[in-house]
Amino acid sequence: MNSPLPLDPALPEPLARREFLRMLAAAGAATLSMSAPRLLAESEKLVQPAATADSVILIWLAGGMAAPETFDPKRYAPYEKGLSYDRVLSTFPAIPTSVDGVRICEGLENIAQVMDRGTLIRSAVQPDLGTILHSRHQFHWHTGYVPPQTVACPHIGAWMARVLGPRNPVMPAFINIGQRLEGVGESEELKAFTTAGFFGGEYGPMNLPFPEEAAAAVRPPKGMDAGRFVSRDREFRRLVDATPSRDLLSDHQHESMLRSMDKAYRLLSAKERAAFDITLETPEVQKDYDTGRFGRGCLLARRLVENGARFVEVTTEYVPFFQWDTHGKGHETVAKMHAEIDRPIARLIRDLEQRGLLDRTLVIIASEFSRDAMIEGRPGSKAKDQAFNKSGIMTSPDHYGLHRHFTGGTSVVMFGGGVKKGHVYGATADERPLVAIKDPVSISDMHATIFRAMGISPKTAFDIEGRPFYATVDGKGVPIPIFRS
Amino acid sequence: MRSPFLAGLLLTTSLGAAPVDFAHEVVPILRKHCVECHAGDKKKGGLSMNTRASLLEGGENGAVVTAGQTQKSKLLEAIVSADPDVRMPPKGDRLSSAEVATLRAWVEQGAVWTEGFAFKQPAYEPPLRPRQPVLPEVRNGRPHPIDRVLDGWLADKGAPTPPVADDATFLRRVTLDFVGLLPSAEEARAFAADRRPDKRALLVRSLLARNVDYADHWMAFWNDLLRNDYAGTGYIDGGRKQITSWLYVSLLANKPYDVFARELIAPSADSEGFAKGIIWRGAVSAAQVPELQYSQSVSQTFLGINMKCASCHDSFVDRWKLRDAYGLAAIYSDHPMELVRCDIPTGKPAAAAWPFPELGQVDATKPREERLAQLAALITHPENGRFPRTIVNRLWHRLMGRGVVHPVDAMQTQPWNQDLLDVLANRLVESKYDLKAVLEFIATSQAYQSRAEILSRDADDKGYVYRGPRAKRLTAEQFVDAVWRLTGTTPAKIELKVPRAAPTAASAKKPVVEPLLAAPIWSGDIAGGRLPAAGETRSFRRQLVLDADVESAACVVTCDNGFELYVNGKKIGEGDNWADPKSFDLTASLLMGANQIVIVGHNGGQKPNVAAAWFQVNVELKGGVRVRMATDASWEWTTSLPNARGTFAAAGKAKAATKTAEIVWQPVSLVKGEAWRKAESRMAEMLAGVGGTSSLPARASLMKSDLLQRALGRPNREQIVSMRPNELSTLEAIDLSNGQALTNLLSAGAAKLKKRTWTSPEELARWLYLSALSREPAPAELKVAAGIVGAEISEQGVADLLWVVCMLPEFQTIR
Repeated sequence: MNSPLPLDPALPEPLARREFLRMLAAAGAATLSMSAPRLLAESEKLVQPAATADSVILIWLAGGMAAPETFDPKRYAPYEKGLSYDRVLSTFPAIPTSVDGVRICEGLENIAQVMDRGTLIRSAVQPDLGTILHSRHQFHWHTGYVPPQTVACPHIGAWMARVLGPRNPVMPAFINIGQRLEGVGESEELKAFTTAGFFGGEYGPMNLPFPEEAAAAVRPPKGMDAGRFVSRDREFRRLVDATPSRDLLSDHQHESMLRSMDKAYRLLSAKERAAFDITLETPEVQKDYDTGRFGRGCLLARRLVENGARFVEVTTEYVPFFQWDTHGKGHETVAKMHAEIDRPIARLIRDLEQRGLLDRTLVIIASEFSRDAMIEGRPGSKAKDQAFNKSGIMTSPDHYGLHRHFTGGTSVVMFGGGVKKGHVYGATADERPLVAIKDPVSISDMHATIFRAMGISPKTAFDIEGRPFYATVDGKGVPIPIFRS
Repeated sequence: MRSPFLAGLLLTTSLGAAPVDFAHEVVPILRKHCVECHAGDKKKGGLSMNTRASLLEGGENGAVVTAGQTQKSKLLEAIVSADPDVRMPPKGDRLSSAEVATLRAWVEQGAVWTEGFAFKQPAYEPPLRPRQPVLPEVRNGRPHPIDRVLDGWLADKGAPTPPVADDATFLRRVTLDFVGLLPSAEEARAFAADRRPDKRALLVRSLLARNVDYADHWMAFWNDLLRNDYAGTGYIDGGRKQITSWLYVSLLANKPYDVFARELIAPSADSEGFAKGIIWRGAVSAAQVPELQYSQSVSQTFLGINMKCASCHDSFVDRWKLRDAYGLAAIYSDHPMELVRCDIPTGKPAAAAWPFPELGQVDATKPREERLAQLAALITHPENGRFPRTIVNRLWHRLMGRGVVHPVDAMQTQPWNQDLLDVLANRLVESKYDLKAVLEFIATSQAYQSRAEILSRDADDKGYVYRGPRAKRLTAEQFVDAVWRLTGTTPAKIELKVPRAAPTAASAKKPVVEPLLAAPIWSGDIAGGRLPAAGETRSFRRQLVLDADVESAACVVTCDNGFELYVNGKKIGEGDNWADPKSFDLTASLLMGANQIVIVGHNGGQKPNVAAAWFQVNVELKGGVRVRMATDASWEWTTSLPNARGTFAAAGKAKAATKTAEIVWQPVSLVKGEAWRKAESRMAEMLAGVGGTSSLPARASLMKSDLLQRALGRPNREQIVSMRPNELSTLEAIDLSNGQALTNLLSAGAAKLKKRTWTSPEELARWLYLSALSREPAPAELKVAAGIVGAEISEQGVADLLWVVCMLPEFQTIR
């Protein structure tokens, strides 16, 4: 049986202590490797905005969360055989929220009670990337760039890790919860943006597909007790120290390797390790969060941010035709999704607030695009065309739901992190097409807004293959005015 | 005709206005408002005002200044325009009316320029044609052309000559560099003991002669550079095509590099995957259509040109223009193409052309196949020095840790030593584009054989200075191969269908499967119906007398449940799964005369159960005689076990006192069994060469990427990768510290190693140091290492020592 690791102090006194202290002293800015891209000289002169948040939790409702079924309710009609699609815009009735006059969909009662803590953006729009493929839109949403690109684009979390670094030197800056990258459809496409790209592996992500296994990811390997793990590391240091002619071997590359080994060991033996273990929460808390993998992921995300993670993504997971990817039985499936997200998200907001962390933690709820009961995107079709294709009459409850991809108007919710409270930004039409009719927010603007909260100018650029690569395409995004002044 | 340049005297103008003084009046205005974006490296909108010629050439939207014609000079409009899309400069202070008037007068007067003046130094333009550098004199008795160039360079700089690396360092470096594997402990001992003065050169040659190992190893490099993979985006829906077989065969045969390149540029069905690129699902930007991908891939891989910027707009950072990118694309395209700038069609047709017309041009009127052949011929044209320079620079980078031009894809930038680059390039051409010849050329230089540079963090801040080769990080593939070999956990099979043997006349023929001669045997003491005990071990032997030298020999062997095979006292291999027979090439192991074949067979299970061993060797002797020898009733068995040298002289100190006669050899019994039919027919197939020679252990480069390889930096090959990160990231270090994949390999390895006979923990530690680091441990290291193993050698101790050694920076780098 594994005995618990000493939680604090983290490091047993190694024989090569002197050596490691020397290296750690040099490690401050030395996360930059010689081969890693450098900040463009112009960017060094940029005046970066003052940050209103220190951390981000991106709640990623992958697969296309229909805004009319969640945060932007429209005309509701219950199912009946023979119901015409024309009569249905939402399959859930609207409910009031803690913000006067703002209504969201039935099934999100807990979230409704925390809407006064954040800003609801109803006018996010995406370009129509041909066949409106999930993974391409997810790539776009996560990197800010439309795929494919000639260079490996970093995930926005890697941007945070690269530009801001870790909040706590022991904690990985960018952690990705809940998405399997093996054994699911489109996994290669998912990997293409779940990466630090040209920034290099130092900037994440640390992938934790199963929240309940996260603790194991920072534990000694299976079958190795704490004593052995500690002594193995100690012996490693002794052997490094025993290497003859250390001077010949001790150079930048060796030191940076040792530093990485040391940082790994520090995490695997630090008190922050406990942040990865959701079972350390009380049964009541665990139960409240535990609506499934996603709910447990929210609890994990909270613990990670409490312990100094910079950017955490937690997802209901993208698996083609599952979860929010409702190509059939939409109503039934979304009701399940409501149940999966409602309690944990609301609890997460309240917990962060109660701990005094919400003000400096930007929590974002987003998805790659919305859905409509009507027409799926087809090559060459635009959002505005989607209203004119009639799809007839529902003859089975399986038809009741929003089954077609829609990029013309999507909801995004932001809590904390300096954004206005109880605020609604933008609006969509009340009749088809349900496009954004007020203050549309592009992906570049959305990214600029998130970067702004974190104190990063969208014009921040790195020198990639001799050309500037900006935080948002050509540095052009503009933050939307949702910040408390 | 009037000179446009001031030649020291003031010119009068037809208008009679005072002549504008370019240097004192115009230069300050341009410097203040324009050159920040339009000179030197900066060419916004494709416009450079660096020189008079570049100014008059104009930008993407045509001319901006026409000398003497103000109405044809858009520059003059832009500086006064209020239209935000037109005005120049786009931001900041406008030009004063006096400044506008000065520029207007200047244009009117013919845009006169001081001869030779440029705002910034003109951008470096590398030589295109081959050069024949004059080699400096031989210094320090180092006549190798590379050393002559570098010693001359070092002498010029007054820099010290890097000292020569020791044999162990050299052996490990060159073995990993050339075949991607660690030298074994035996190889390390043999090389240390070798007293031949030219042993390094001999080693280099022998490594390059290991064709399969070479091909296995270099697959990773070429897969990266040609973005070929065994799984990934596009393959599943036909949007991408592998070139794996073509590539493997090309490497195995060391195909001349010019031929290699031509087959990729003007491809056949086998090699077209590179040219076809990746057809992405859904709509893509104009710069990512397959034709532009072709343009980018061909120019990057073969010419070190980054066409990615120019695929969208005229490059701001180098000389490549939109029409250059589309020129290459149009050669490949099967339909007329239109220039599209930043996803907006320009209406201008793209003309098929390559970017160095001084060497000849593609005939755009010819059909596609001909155009591609012409392009292939132009890229590999003997006068195109850029082609050999680009690849030798990549090889220099792989071997020396840093390119002569660096980064290696920036071939438009200045090398730190042009002569060195040309000496290497010329070597490639003189050897008829033999890549192995270039590798040999580099590895036999003192430069390659020098001690690695001791790198400080700010090493390159003030430009690169050569101080010897740089340490390289083990690639993911090298790391995994190394761990597999050290721990004996190499998977038996690769996941690809590539022919891992040089095609021979015999293998070209359809294989004929002959009936298996090998019969299952076990010790004669089962004759009475005794079932072999669980864990029972028996040695079997037979002599094979050959009357002539061996042309080729291959064997198959298996045992229910496990075996070790020795030939003439040398361990050939082992197996632990009877259903997975092994085959081995015995060509080099069998000699004319008497050969001793020994099989040590192990029975498995929990209680007595049937056991059997099989062996068959097929030998072709020089002169054409075929010899077949297989397990049958003529074999003998004994309960004694061979020593590490596969012989039965009793081990250790008692040697003199022990007589080999004490070992009793008796006739074996034949075993009957139906359950083994499948393994037997597999053995027959293996002898016939069906399904390749599966005895070759797997290589990480021939496996699909997995978590461990990805964690160690094997890239996703959607983009061309020419340099992998040299640093270990923290997340990688976490994976190495507690990842299950590595932990399992090390545990399995520890279990195997513990079973071997070690006289002491020190012996094990020495073996591991020699196998992993190619050197003996120092006394202090030996003490720590043996301490980790523990006085009583435990699996846990061995696993921990394996981990500790594999984590040493010395292990994870090639120094």
